[in-house]
Amino acid sequence: MDRIRGFLRRPRSSDANVARLRRRKQAAAYIHRNLRKLTTTLFIIGYAWMLLFPIPLLSQGTYIDENALQPAQVNTYWNWGDVHTADLQLYQLDGIQERNLTSEQRAEFFRTEFSKLGLAASIQNYTFSTSRGTISGNNAYAVMSSPRAAGTEAMVISASWLSRAGHGTLNLRGTSTVLSLAAFLKDYSLWAKDIIFIISDDYLHGMHAWLNAYHGTIPSNLYTDPLEHTSGVIWTALNIDYSSHSFSHLGVFHEGLNGRLPNQDLINSFRLISHYTGGVPMTVYDHLEPSDTVGRLPEQSVFPSWVPPFIQQSPQLQQYRYHLRNVVRHIGYQARGMCSGVHGLMHQFRIDAITLFAVPADGPHGFHALGRIVESTLRTMNNLLERLHASFFFYILTSPGTFMKIGMFLPSAILVSVAMLFKGLGEWVTAGWVYEISEVSSKGNETEKSSPAKGTWRNRRRPLLSALIVVVTTHVLGVLVFNLICSRWFASILRLFLAPTIFVVVSVIPPMLLPILSTNASEAAPTPMLLKSSNLCLASTVISIMSLLNFSLAAMLAIIMGVPLATSYTSSSTVTSRLRYACYCVLAWGWLVLAPGEVESAIWNWEVLGVWFAPFICIVYAPLVMQAAIVCLQGHRSMAA
Amino acid sequence: MRRASVWIFLAYLCTPSFALYQEELYREDLRIQPLRDGRVSTTFSFVTVLEGAVPRNPKALGQLDESQHYALFPLTLGQILREYAITELHLTLNAGKWNYDNWGHPHEAGVGTGAELWAWMGASEVTTVDDRWSGLRNALSGLFCASLGSLDSRRTLSPTVAFPLSGSAPTFAPHELRHATLPSENVCTENLTPFLKLLPCKSHAGLAALLNPQKVFDADWHGMGIHVIWKEDIGVELKLTLQAVFNPVRTSAGKRRDWNLQSLFDRSIERSCPVASSSSITVVLPEETDYQIIPDYPAHVDGLAIFDLPSSSNFTFPSNIAMNWPSEHSFQYPLPPLTPVTPLSVKRTIHGTTQTRGVLSVFVTNNSPQEISAGYLEMMPALLTLWMHTLKVEINAQIRNDLLSGLKYHPPSLQSNDRLSPSMLQAVLTIPPQTTLKISMEVNKAFLKYTEHPPDAMRGWDLPGAVFFPLPQSSRDNWERIYTPTLLVDLPTPDFSMPYNVIILSCTLMTLIFGSIFNLLTRKWVVVEIQE
Repeated sequence: MDRIRGFLRRPRSSDANVARLRRRKQAAAYIHRNLRKLTTTLFIIGYAWMLLFPIPLLSQGTYIDENALQPAQVNTYWNWGDVHTADLQLYQLDGIQERNLTSEQRAEFFRTEFSKLGLAASIQNYTFSTSRGTISGNNAYAVMSSPRAAGTEAMVISASWLSRAGHGTLNLRGTSTVLSLAAFLKDYSLWAKDIIFIISDDYLHGMHAWLNAYHGTIPSNLYTDPLEHTSGVIWTALNIDYSSHSFSHLGVFHEGLNGRLPNQDLINSFRLISHYTGGVPMTVYDHLEPSDTVGRLPEQSVFPSWVPPFIQQSPQLQQYRYHLRNVVRHIGYQARGMCSGVHGLMHQFRIDAITLFAVPADGPHGFHALGRIVESTLRTMNNLLERLHASFFFYILTSPGTFMKIGMFLPSAILVSVAMLFKGLGEWVTAGWVYEISEVSSKGNETEKSSPAKGTWRNRRRPLLSALIVVVTTHVLGVLVFNLICSRWFASILRLFLAPTIFVVVSVIPPMLLPILSTNASEAAPTPMLLKSSNLCLASTVISIMSLLNFSLAAMLAIIMGVPLATSYTSSSTVTSRLRYACYCVLAWGWLVLAPGEVESAIWNWEVLGVWFAPFICIVYAPLVMQAAIVCLQGHRSMAA
Repeated sequence: MRRASVWIFLAYLCTPSFALYQEELYREDLRIQPLRDGRVSTTFSFVTVLEGAVPRNPKALGQLDESQHYALFPLTLGQILREYAITELHLTLNAGKWNYDNWGHPHEAGVGTGAELWAWMGASEVTTVDDRWSGLRNALSGLFCASLGSLDSRRTLSPTVAFPLSGSAPTFAPHELRHATLPSENVCTENLTPFLKLLPCKSHAGLAALLNPQKVFDADWHGMGIHVIWKEDIGVELKLTLQAVFNPVRTSAGKRRDWNLQSLFDRSIERSCPVASSSSITVVLPEETDYQIIPDYPAHVDGLAIFDLPSSSNFTFPSNIAMNWPSEHSFQYPLPPLTPVTPLSVKRTIHGTTQTRGVLSVFVTNNSPQEISAGYLEMMPALLTLWMHTLKVEINAQIRNDLLSGLKYHPPSLQSNDRLSPSMLQAVLTIPPQTTLKISMEVNKAFLKYTEHPPDAMRGWDLPGAVFFPLPQSSRDNWERIYTPTLLVDLPTPDFSMPYNVIILSCTLMTLIFGSIFNLLTRKWVVVEIQE
């Protein structure tokens, strides 16, 4: 008791300072002694947390934050007559599909259709030049100037010509929905914002060209004329993707370029509207909820066949599996900076946008439900007095009705990065000290061999320069590789040959450079230790910064780099160290050879859409792993020397 | 005999009021024009003339004013005009975006979105022009239930070239202009009611009976204007205008462009206004001849059909005028390429996605076969800083600085009340025939104090439209001022939705920084021995 009281009592005068300094020292020593336990615990908690994302405990129910939205509070006027208009449009579009019209002819057709409605319609021609050749197309768009409105704000209804369903599926019904909505919406005077209708060419690049032209941010590789008709600031947008005959659910796709997300209020409002106005259940992506899949074909079970059915069919596990699918898909889009649909291109212009994907089914819904839902959603967007804000931009949708707040997922990656930071700092401290067995005690008495040899801790220099040279070299190498794979040579037939060559070269160069760098001064700390320390600190910083910008990417980095970087060590055996080096090389650059499709899409995304994933991997991620690889190799060399 | 003398006495009492103003005249007119996109533009104008009246001399503001006795002229407005010695006054309140390309020039030029107020006043030592301007704003905002009070020094300028005196200039004092716009002001029923009260017959009789708020405020574009002009040979003229662009195609079931007074206004004229000296409805007849007008128009002057209301020889109350296109099943919109109706078409945008800088671009197209010289006026609130060195004039991406002349730029100046006045940019553009001229300049967006943000901070700020005006010396062009649509600009805005989080975080940060620096500064450094 007295000890506790003494501990708590305010220490007096100089004694107090001594006690404080001593306490601080002890604490530091304690942490250093238990550093391994501490980092291991942090790693385990961090990774376990990630595994627990899908459990209901970490999610909470969605709600509407912005009071002005008032979703599903209006009567809708879209009726069967408008459905008939949509059917007629679809009939015409079917004709277009059969006649195989060119992009220009198609755009001309859409322009005429919009003009027949009295809207200010036009066509935008554009050409992107990339290392893989040029991409060109034609967008058709129309601006509906709302009655009585000043036209300072606008909403967008868009459909791309190609559906996200892939395999060249045409978004014919989505397009006819846009055309018939244009005919329908212009007959009401209640719109407070202009409505812009866009039928963009192809899947992504059409809308990208249009958005850049609209906002005057035309990149150097895009050639397009200024738009003939413009409106005000676009606040919200809906992209309609309806390719199949009819649909059972409306799937919401929300991920944007470079990990941006739309304001969650938009998704939440849409869910309420879809449910109450259209009677159509909303899903996240095209994943149907476990309760919806009862009557459908049994999907591939994740469990082996020996697992008893009561476990396989337990609702908790089913739910976990469903949430897991959503989280994994989300991380898959966000980590790669890919957008999950045409809407994703808009987020960079501060437009909150989602794609409504009509999940293909035999029924029961069609134009009637979709029209009403879009009309009601537009009315909700029309209610906005200011931009959607309220910091509702960081979330993971685990199911249509539940989501994870940032506080529920952010710590997982941060814990891993803290563990790496501790490990790196620990390495730095270790590098500064060397334990020397004192000559006197070892020579003095030969008989006292059983007693442990007494030694002293000696400070040693930590020459950071050579480690820094390695760090800079690897990053410069990353820049070179990035430029190479973005070049025309890589794109041409050479690719099959060039990718393995690059892989071999970047794996071989570092060992060849090593002899120049290795310092064998005995009074200095070995370079591998310093390299590992700086490597871990750098990687930890990268992960924690990325976790705010793009959580999924930070989580992927934490998973891929966390343990390998922390466990890189200098092995005494040549074979082991070479093997380890090879493994790290594959981890760093293996994607060049193993995932050519991913490389291709990442480069396309970078060149056309400006997604930072490809340069990030080449310039940040791969060099960091290569540094860990060099730690293994360099250690071996310095030991051998 | 006695009775007669009483009458004479009474007449004598009343004489002074009529002696001052020999006569008051009131006339009303409605002009209806079908437009090519199926819409119908209607312009009401109600003119009251005080014959022989002279605006008040501002030098006599300290003295007692002559008494005001009006029979038709609205006293409430007259009092304001005399109180602040206003020579000329123009107030417009508009909603919507005037589509010059399809609708042509409006009958009344003032169609800028929102509220616009400008007044010419004589200078005087008794009360400064700015004081009277401030009083005028507040008085008018009370009269018309509009937020004109916020047209303060942050929005007031004096662009005399673009907004010259429309009438005559009195010789008693040099005159000054004050002009301000409020693009975010909306016009609604609460503005129409006081407007109607200024009319001698209110909305009970005459053309004003047609002004049904439910219909007028459902029109695609609508706006009202109050213009007070002094003309030396006539007197003080008060012109109240109300313009509305209706869309019969939208409101009719069969998507037809047929219209009649009943369908446009859902009202009819039951009786004419007895004090009106003239009351007429003019229909501008379309160029094509497949229409039908009922009743068959009596006078056909230059493509106009004029119906005179009081001479109801061909016009029986309750009256209706209708125009039909019998051969049309439903209205077919004209298909592109459409040539704009006006010789000049203007488009103005602000580009850039960041909250700190952007590019203001103006595209001016000359649709006519001859060269046009036009004045360009930009009245920009100090929210945006225009960088004049980045001003570029281009035609087809070729720099053509020779087409811009007479450039005048007044940067924002700090007022006595610590507020910045708007910046004013004025230039003369020469636009070659059938070409599009692009003017662009970079702008910086202001970083505001958090108390300066409006309650709907995340909406952005409305910027008034630019004005293109014909140059005074060139009489050849017969066009009037063109207003570009207003713009919305995003300034750097804090997230006001979570003030407590922001306060807590920033306070913690400040405390940490302050605490550690204070600690370092006040600490005494000594060597402490620690025994192991």
